[in-house]
Amino acid sequence: MTYLKELFATRELLYNLTMREVKGQYRRTVLGQLWSLLNPIATMLVYTVVFSFIFRARPNIGDPSGLDIYPLWLMCGLLPWLYFSRVVNGGLNSMVTNSGLIKKVYFPRMHLPFSVMASVGFTWLIEMGVLLLALQLFGGWPIWWIPIVMLVMVTLAFFAVGVAMMLAITNVHFRDTQHFTTIVLQMWMYLTPIIYPISLVENAARDLGDWVIVVYRLNPMERFVEVFRNLMYDNRWPALDDTLFIVAVSGVVFALGYLVFSRNEKRLAELL
Amino acid sequence: MSENSAVVVDNVSKKFKLYRERNQTLKSAVMRGRKTVAEEFWAVRDVSFDVPEGQTFGLIGRNGSGKSTLLKTLARIYHPDAGSITLRGKAASLLEVGSGFHPELSGRENVYLNASILGLKRREVDERFDDIVEFSGVEKFIDQPVKNYSSGMYVRLGFSVAVHTNPDILVVDEVLAVGDGAFREKSRQKFLEFTRDGKTVILVSHSLPQIREMCDQVAWLNKGTLREVGDADTVTEHYEKALVDEKD
Repeated sequence: MTYLKELFATRELLYNLTMREVKGQYRRTVLGQLWSLLNPIATMLVYTVVFSFIFRARPNIGDPSGLDIYPLWLMCGLLPWLYFSRVVNGGLNSMVTNSGLIKKVYFPRMHLPFSVMASVGFTWLIEMGVLLLALQLFGGWPIWWIPIVMLVMVTLAFFAVGVAMMLAITNVHFRDTQHFTTIVLQMWMYLTPIIYPISLVENAARDLGDWVIVVYRLNPMERFVEVFRNLMYDNRWPALDDTLFIVAVSGVVFALGYLVFSRNEKRLAELL
Repeated sequence: MSENSAVVVDNVSKKFKLYRERNQTLKSAVMRGRKTVAEEFWAVRDVSFDVPEGQTFGLIGRNGSGKSTLLKTLARIYHPDAGSITLRGKAASLLEVGSGFHPELSGRENVYLNASILGLKRREVDERFDDIVEFSGVEKFIDQPVKNYSSGMYVRLGFSVAVHTNPDILVVDEVLAVGDGAFREKSRQKFLEFTRDGKTVILVSHSLPQIREMCDQVAWLNKGTLREVGDADTVTEHYEKALVDEKD
């Protein structure tokens, strides 16, 4: 409890560390913050060409929005995924990249993964804003769902930073963590129906048995992607079980991350 | 332990694990199996002393005597493995200047960032901003990115932020030797002002004349244990004598 109080008392530091990242990232670039949009747009183009034109992935038409535009459908899942993977990667490395600071000044170290969560979140917010605008222009009606989308975004942020905090501590002990995580995240992305619709997995599972789809859907990111698509692409309420699943998983993962981190942070300076 | 002690160090010990080969990989952890080849090394062992409020307290000792470890423990960067440290009042530590400076950000932005790392609120920085800049002497360049600063300007700005945090207790490593002669004199004056205002300062230095000039009391550490604590002139004299004896 005292730790929580201390975190709250030093919340200005969190703001400043976040702004350091946000402001420092695109200094000395001509395009500035635009870079944060160009990156996902380039990814979108590549995936659209490969998976929509070549592999012919055909997601369901948005119900009730009536949208049938693969790139927009893709982005509703890809942007949350990119946020998740950036927070996990950035957060787990935040101890090592800030080791100079940790060894020289005392402050609640948890602000470091939090500042990654917030600064990457700032970029994500812009990306999602542009996506919502595009969805609106192409005939969807996501505007009314914005408050719910924001809530789900916060839920995902807690999930991501929870994972990041646990891995950050592991990474201080074993630097293997960062390399291992890169591989896991790559596989995780393809195990989540981001670039292909889940109907393809359901088709494949028919031959193997229902357990495949049950196991497949244990992946919290699958639920997150589903919920984001329900809200933004389909413009309807997500299924109750999906919603409960993501809230419960995020709560548990964040609590675990908090516990692991706060128990180990005292020894960070000497381990780094 | 009198009532007006600002800092109470009570039987503090700090150990480190020494690994014969510390490659931080999973493979080596698995290969080592159950028997971890770690030796314990007590960098600080059973050290106790009080620092009365308003005094300047020096830590002396040879390299590897545990001064820096103790200082880092006082600054809450390390946690003692045994014993406890009680700090009465707002404490700030100054072990490095310009902690967390971002090279691409301007001097102004870095002042705010650095000050908040050192525990200042935005409002407090607003109030002191002009003093900080004036003291550092980099007025003309305050809106330039700090990567364009000369190394002298960089440390002066960092130092200036640190001395304006205005804590009750200040823990300082050998950072007084910053900048040119004129700036060093200014820093010295600032520290004297500090002690005149009744602040408690704990500092590590290898310069015995400086210790004698600034400190009221001194603790002499030897190989992690407290050799002597007391009046600055007496302890530094004994310490000097021991150094000479060792040479002979």
